[in-house]
Amino acid sequence: MPIGAHVGKQIRELRQRYNSGEGISQEALAGHIGVTPNTISRWETGVYRPSLEDLEKLARFFAVPIMRFFPSEHHDEANSDQLLMLLRAAKQLHPDDLEELTKFAEFRRARRIYAGKSRPRAGRKGSKHK
Amino acid sequence: MNSWEYYDDLKRLARQVRAENGLKSPRVTLREMRRIYFRHDIELDVWPYKFKSVRGAFISDDLGATVMVAANLPEDPMIFTLAHELKHFYRDRHLRISYCDQSNMDRTLEIGAEVFAAELIFPDADFAAHLKQMKIGKNACSPKNLVQLKHSTRTTLSYAGLAIKAERLHFAPPGSLTKVKTWRSLERELRLKT
Repeated sequence: MPIGAHVGKQIRELRQRYNSGEGISQEALAGHIGVTPNTISRWETGVYRPSLEDLEKLARFFAVPIMRFFPSEHHDEANSDQLLMLLRAAKQLHPDDLEELTKFAEFRRARRIYAGKSRPRAGRKGSKHK
Repeated sequence: MNSWEYYDDLKRLARQVRAENGLKSPRVTLREMRRIYFRHDIELDVWPYKFKSVRGAFISDDLGATVMVAANLPEDPMIFTLAHELKHFYRDRHLRISYCDQSNMDRTLEIGAEVFAAELIFPDADFAAHLKQMKIGKNACSPKNLVQLKHSTRTTLSYAGLAIKAERLHFAPPGSLTKVKTWRSLERELRLKT
């Protein structure tokens, strides 16, 4: 399955399982993420691919790691990431900061998977996530 | 190499980076920092989510070199943080990750990054020359003098950074500037008089 379709399937699944299976409408989710309901629909059907920044927002909304959106073969890659292991060992950091840095490290790895290449594009240097 | 030699070495490196990148004034901008990052192929992420005390982090691994900086930092501290993380790129890549917060500021590597950043933005020699030009001698620099210096040079080094530098170079007695918390009101006061 192409990665866009997989991501879309995961978004739909999370949306339908939200709040102990009660679910959340595309409209309500769109309101939380700051996009239109149409966009959510198009993400779910794989017509559009959400940006990595949108995936980060979705991950935070559903309280799941960003890797949740990617096929399972990538989960091992994230779990064995030495960087994440180093972070987990950083005892002096405030737990909230440790969690945020871990999310950043996961975001960075997700970017590689999403871009499908080993180094990010030079053109996006310094871009500010919206 | 002892700590002081290490810090001197980092100051030399900072001046070399300034020379290589055509930084001639104490006003180092975000655009100039981004250009240096681009030259070294360092990925820069301005992270929009909140940290309690982390200002930035440097990561170097199989994905390359990345610097993350907290988006909520004001411009001058952001420039300083980018300069701080640049030191980790030059000297600490083997550590894979370095983060900059208040809990690890007593470590030599982190102090070194602060020394490097302060020298990159406003070299000690230039700082001393400016103060001498203002006819300020040993232990004679007041908080108002620093406000005047910041405005006349338009330096992007923060007041905290300028205060540390002035005390370390003996332009002010220890604690006389670094304990000042009223820089903005001093700025307003001076602007009223001009």
